[in-house]
Amino acid sequence: MNGQTSAPRWHGLALAAPALTVVGVFFIAPLAMSAVVAFRDKAGGFTLEHFSKAFDLYTTDLLFTLAIVLLSTVLIGVLAIAIAGYLTLGENPRAVALLRWLYRWPLFIPFVVAGQVMRTFLAKNGMLNHVLIGTGLIEPLSAQSLLDWRGIVVAFVWKQAPFVTLLLAGAMASLESQHIEAARNLGARRVRVLLDIVLPQVRGTLLVGLVLSFVTMLSVLSVPLMINPNSPTMVTVDVAYRINTFADYAVANALCLLSLLLAAGGAWFYLRHAASKAVT
Amino acid sequence: MKSHLIALVAALAFAGAAFAQTTLNVVTAGDQNMVDYVNNYLAPKFEAANPGVKVRAVGTGPGDSGSQKIYEKLSAQQKAGTADWDVDVAVIHQLASATMVNEKLLMPYRNDISTGKLVSRDTAKNALGANVDGYVMPMFHSQIVFAYNPELVKSPPRSFAELTDWVKKNPKQFGYNGVKGGMSGVGFVTGWVSAYSGIGDKLEKGPFDASSGPAIDKALAGLKDFNQYVVMTPGNAGTLDMLNRGEIAMGPVWVDMFYTWQADGRMSPKMKLALPSPGLPGQPMYYVIPAKAAHAQLAKKFIELAESPEVQADGIIKQFNWYPGIDPQYVQPKLDQTAWNKLFTDVSPQDLARYGRPFPLSPYFKEIVEGYERVVLK
Amino acid sequence: MNALTLPSPLRALLRAVLLALFAFAIFGPLLNLFLWAFAERWYFPSKLPLEYGLTFWYRVFQPRGNALASLGTSVWIAVLTVFLSLAVAVPAGYALARLKLPWRSAILLVFLLPQAVPNLPVYVNIAQVFYQIGLNGTIVGVVLVHASHGLVLAVWIASAAFASVDVSLEEAARNLGASAWTCFRTVTLPIAAPGLIASAIFVFLESLDEFTGTYFVGVPDVTTLPLLMFNASMGGNYQIASITALLLLIPSIGFMLVVERFLKADVLAMVGR
Repeated sequence: MNGQTSAPRWHGLALAAPALTVVGVFFIAPLAMSAVVAFRDKAGGFTLEHFSKAFDLYTTDLLFTLAIVLLSTVLIGVLAIAIAGYLTLGENPRAVALLRWLYRWPLFIPFVVAGQVMRTFLAKNGMLNHVLIGTGLIEPLSAQSLLDWRGIVVAFVWKQAPFVTLLLAGAMASLESQHIEAARNLGARRVRVLLDIVLPQVRGTLLVGLVLSFVTMLSVLSVPLMINPNSPTMVTVDVAYRINTFADYAVANALCLLSLLLAAGGAWFYLRHAASKAVT
Repeated sequence: MKSHLIALVAALAFAGAAFAQTTLNVVTAGDQNMVDYVNNYLAPKFEAANPGVKVRAVGTGPGDSGSQKIYEKLSAQQKAGTADWDVDVAVIHQLASATMVNEKLLMPYRNDISTGKLVSRDTAKNALGANVDGYVMPMFHSQIVFAYNPELVKSPPRSFAELTDWVKKNPKQFGYNGVKGGMSGVGFVTGWVSAYSGIGDKLEKGPFDASSGPAIDKALAGLKDFNQYVVMTPGNAGTLDMLNRGEIAMGPVWVDMFYTWQADGRMSPKMKLALPSPGLPGQPMYYVIPAKAAHAQLAKKFIELAESPEVQADGIIKQFNWYPGIDPQYVQPKLDQTAWNKLFTDVSPQDLARYGRPFPLSPYFKEIVEGYERVVLK
Repeated sequence: MNALTLPSPLRALLRAVLLALFAFAIFGPLLNLFLWAFAERWYFPSKLPLEYGLTFWYRVFQPRGNALASLGTSVWIAVLTVFLSLAVAVPAGYALARLKLPWRSAILLVFLLPQAVPNLPVYVNIAQVFYQIGLNGTIVGVVLVHASHGLVLAVWIASAAFASVDVSLEEAARNLGASAWTCFRTVTLPIAAPGLIASAIFVFLESLDEFTGTYFVGVPDVTTLPLLMFNASMGGNYQIASITALLLLIPSIGFMLVVERFLKADVLAMVGR
């Protein structure tokens, strides 16, 4: 930590205490209450049978979930870098202003509605295919539904890319402009400036945005439920299904904990690569 | 300025509850139109008859997840030891009602109300094999049927065997929602297993026999083959949605949802319904009263009104085209012939009686649905 | 990026095409939302609604539906959630960024948990506890649940914002004799403000879109508009869902505009630093 002052340790803890209390009392404690259910058999003893059942039935879905969320995170990162990069380095003020106005809209659309609009947009006879056919880009017969893993990825990227872009564009805009100017004056291309000079300085912000998106997507139920709740599907759908069809909270909670492990993996990646060097 | 805004917001937020002395909380699973039905149709009638009472209806969402959320809320209050529960009347599905009776979350009331004896269906006493006698009254009965587009399907399949032939000739034209997206898909699966396992009656009437596993798995293996020719849809609403956009020509749907979609302009009026042999399951939505409802007496009066032949005729049948919850012989005299016939436009009363089946008993139900995950999905 | 080597009319054309595609990607799905909000009849094989009208708007705004009151409650809860979250997140974020803190990584992780777990089983337990202590059915209860969920955004972004404040500026202020508090108030906080404001927007949106926690902790005494939106959307009631989503856009965008105006600058130019 390069920015630490010499205040004693308890100062820091005291300042963090109220926030920790809110999360601890209103989330961690109830989470622990349900986590134990995942380890308890009918007689109240310790068991791992719920986990083995979860693995038995839902290993594919766990891997599917991880793949979808990872792919979405990568796409979100690429899009956010491209958009934020253009907002920072773009030379046509009108295009920059237009882009700035455009990209934010999905931020205000809740996940459940994002799932709904994508269902009607990406379907076989949905608006996307109507437009593609209408403009002659595809033949009516080759129109296909995107309501599978692709639909989930599209919905996630559409909804979360603006979030990361917003963070990233802010971070880029507040960089010292001399470095960028100097590089541009030396004739460096904009892509090079973006990747070599701008991006390394905002890496921390990018990672914060991506990790927050990663874990958020892991816990969203409505998007896979609206777009593709069939096999393979995401773990959140399986959790809801175990609860609603079987009132099986044990396997549901086991799945929640496994999902939590995936999230912790993402967070660990972030903490290793960014937090150790102070979040910027 | 800011404080004005906050005051305004606060005033708006509390305006609704400020004047009535007593609020009767009706919490309903199912689609938004059920909330609207309570709010717009039942509530004014009930409030007119009971001055000082205000009915407040809240929805918890469609499908069994909606019922499960009601169960969880009541269960939380039971575990917390709350004296007066905040739900007076609940509307739930069969699956949750069995659990809730079992865990003593409901109070028996049917014998306390005058319209209680008007019910005749077996489902008024029995929910998936669980004894719920006295604790429930069907609000309306619903049935899973095939909805189809008559422009694409000239003569709908009359049996599962005909359906299998049909999907092979018309691949990717039949769609259903598997087992994770809602009960219309689950019902299709249990209907399939009833048809092909050779133990259809046993699945519905019992007794449970753990050695039926192979018969069920064999039927499910056939379904796995069948699935190659069909489209998987996203949920109960997803099947209707794909029918509406012309992406599939046929699929299993809840008849009440189908009529709602038509009434709301999301489904062509040309679409038709068919009920194949040996049948598909149906189930009622139940009115129940939580064991420690704060206003149990009012809740009983409310259900008494909701189950009266007049309300069943005018509200359930005329407004929504739903099958009545009480015995039709009490409802039919309250309706003109046109309204009565409209109820049976596509599916005749005889077919409904013959092919409208209950869901399998809950141990079988569980075995079939988990078997689907093991045999079909893997 | 071939654009740099292309002649400028071509470059302009390419830019226009890319922007048009982007606009389609953003507004295509939203157009569906808009059309459904006014569609009275829309079915195959028609590519656009067959009939437009306001029937469903009347249905949403029917007096007994309480849509406006629910919207008011939703906004009120969201505002309170923002206040509570920022009140605890600012000191926590500062501590995480600036002070010696044991188990720093673990603490960051703890805040992440509510965002990372499928929430339903947890809310069931919260409901049970809240029934015991009488918080169920109260605005405060709902705010606490929303805050615990939105806090990760506030804490993580606040911590990032404080970390980006140049330490030498603070040291200069301290050397001139400013107390730690004065230094924080006059130097650190103003520089970090844009990031904090951004986190406020995210917490606001998070609260305004939440329905599972609201159901378990609020219903039936506290009902919000997202509950109606969720039920309608899951039931495939596209018209009602679209209308409620459009209604929820008003406070979302309104809140964003207000905080932008309040700072009298391009607030978001510094978000996340």
